[in-house]
Amino acid sequence: MNPTPNDYRLRAIELDDMLPEVFVNESIPHSEVWMTHLRFDRGRHYLIEAPSGGGKSSLMAYIFGNRCDYRGTLRFNNRDARELHTDNWQQLRRRHLAYLPQDLDLFPELTAIENIRLKNDLTGHVPEERIDEWLNRLGIASRRDTPAGRMSIGQQQRLAIIRALCMPFDFILLDEPVSHLDSTNNRIAAEIIAEEATRQGAGVISTSVGNPLLLHSAINVRL
Amino acid sequence: MDLVFKLLRKNTSPTRLAGFLVSNLIGLAIIGAGLQFYLDARSIWQREDSFLKSDYLAINKIIDASHTLGGASAEFSQAEIADLRNQPWVKRVGAFSRAAFGVHAAVALDGAPGAGGRSMSTAMFFEAVPEGFLDVADGSFTWQEGDTDVPLIISKDYLALYNFGFANSAGLPKLSESLISGIPLRLDLISEDGSRRERLTGHVAGYSNRFNTILVPENFLRRMNETLGSGGTEPAPSRLIVDVSSPGDTAIARYLKEKGWEVAGDKSAASATYMLKVVSGIVMAIGSVITVLSVLILLLSMSLLMEKNRRQLHSLLMLGYKIRTVARPYWRITAIMSLAAGALAFVAVVLLRLYYLQPLRGMGGAPSGLWGTAGLLLLLTVIVILLNCVSITRRVRGAWR
Repeated sequence: MNPTPNDYRLRAIELDDMLPEVFVNESIPHSEVWMTHLRFDRGRHYLIEAPSGGGKSSLMAYIFGNRCDYRGTLRFNNRDARELHTDNWQQLRRRHLAYLPQDLDLFPELTAIENIRLKNDLTGHVPEERIDEWLNRLGIASRRDTPAGRMSIGQQQRLAIIRALCMPFDFILLDEPVSHLDSTNNRIAAEIIAEEATRQGAGVISTSVGNPLLLHSAINVRL
Repeated sequence: MDLVFKLLRKNTSPTRLAGFLVSNLIGLAIIGAGLQFYLDARSIWQREDSFLKSDYLAINKIIDASHTLGGASAEFSQAEIADLRNQPWVKRVGAFSRAAFGVHAAVALDGAPGAGGRSMSTAMFFEAVPEGFLDVADGSFTWQEGDTDVPLIISKDYLALYNFGFANSAGLPKLSESLISGIPLRLDLISEDGSRRERLTGHVAGYSNRFNTILVPENFLRRMNETLGSGGTEPAPSRLIVDVSSPGDTAIARYLKEKGWEVAGDKSAASATYMLKVVSGIVMAIGSVITVLSVLILLLSMSLLMEKNRRQLHSLLMLGYKIRTVARPYWRITAIMSLAAGALAFVAVVLLRLYYLQPLRGMGGAPSGLWGTAGLLLLLTVIVILLNCVSITRRVRGAWR
């Protein structure tokens, strides 16, 4: 993967005997993620349900290369994630792995559209009209030039979903993407995410603690 | 406008950057001024004795009552020469050889010598130093078998004695160096017992501040010693010429003092050049300290700025921005600040230089160009920029996880 050719595809993400370091000395209930084998395939949708504190944000951060405090092995197309260098990760983040963190990680000082452009200018992936369409469908078109810091948390969540979609990806990681959305907006967000994932043939991995993203035909995984 | 730049220039402190600019400017200006002054002022002392490198010293014994009253020898023994040759600061030692015959020189002040006009004559002596110690590139200081004209190098002091002492009191015209060089001298070489004579002409080929003597080419002196000398062994030398590695070396002064010897001629050039080096060195060292401190200010203020913007840095890396893209705004700030400081320091040196250029030229100095200083300032600026860029890149990497 150094450097990856343009036709590189991340086909599968595999977890083998993975366990967050903090759980090592604790007895954990049966899990379909930790201390077992789990494989995420490109093109399929996964919903990870977990109680709070089950380590789902940790799992997302491990896959996104943001943290590495785990035991076991994480593999991308059979390559150990621990072997990747900063440059490899940065390339994954531009071309293969989209991510919506739970804390959204928006720039409060930039306007909604600037937050989106900061990502889309980097990847040049999504045409301006489609961004406008998404803003309209999610009902935040009127907040286009409002600094993100002055938007409500629900609006920020919708903005962050749009930003996460502004790149080519093989997988999109969504950490509690609709925790602050009503069911209408949940459904719209799910539609947009599913459309874009289908367009790209990508996999969706979404977590929740009880308010799941309303994806159709998703595989449920219990953490 | 570049969104990354817009994000990352937040929290930049104009005061801190101005602090760096001013202190770096002062530091670099002091270094530059020190170097430039050294390069310019050096020429005052270096122009002398162009045919003699400043690394040569002429050494003789100090004459005191014991020499005058007989007993102590003013000549250097073979053992003394060998000891000198073994000093670590000595590269080469040559002996002055002396004429074993008398010399009588006459100058016609109007008309040819001996043609009845007014003339001035004096008893004289010749000495020679080994070939290789004199560096007269144009070949004007050579003599070949059969030549009847002999080139001489005389002490500048002799001309000064004549011009300011004798000519004044005797009502004779003052003579310039170039004029003297054009006047032929009639030389009568007479053997000790007066039985053999040679008549030749001579001309002054150069002047020396370093040798209080009259030098002729070595092969000429040897030939005449054979012709006119008493045939005895060559007398021991009373003066030595020494090629030293560094004329400012204190070990030389210590050694000479211990032996009771002294350096002949103009000692001020070597010591003045040495002092100039020391003073310039001190000035440049002070400038360096200020520069180092100013660079620390820049490094610290960039670190502080990046620490304050750590969240933004981290978020940009989360979006997939390359390390170098994120580091670039900070590279840009440091490069602009450093280049501005370097350029302003150069301007400051040029302006400072105006204060001493006129008096320097008055003292006969030939100011050197500005290239050396410009090069040094550019080099220092580039080093500062590279240092900062490395530190910035490391900090961006630190914000990755």
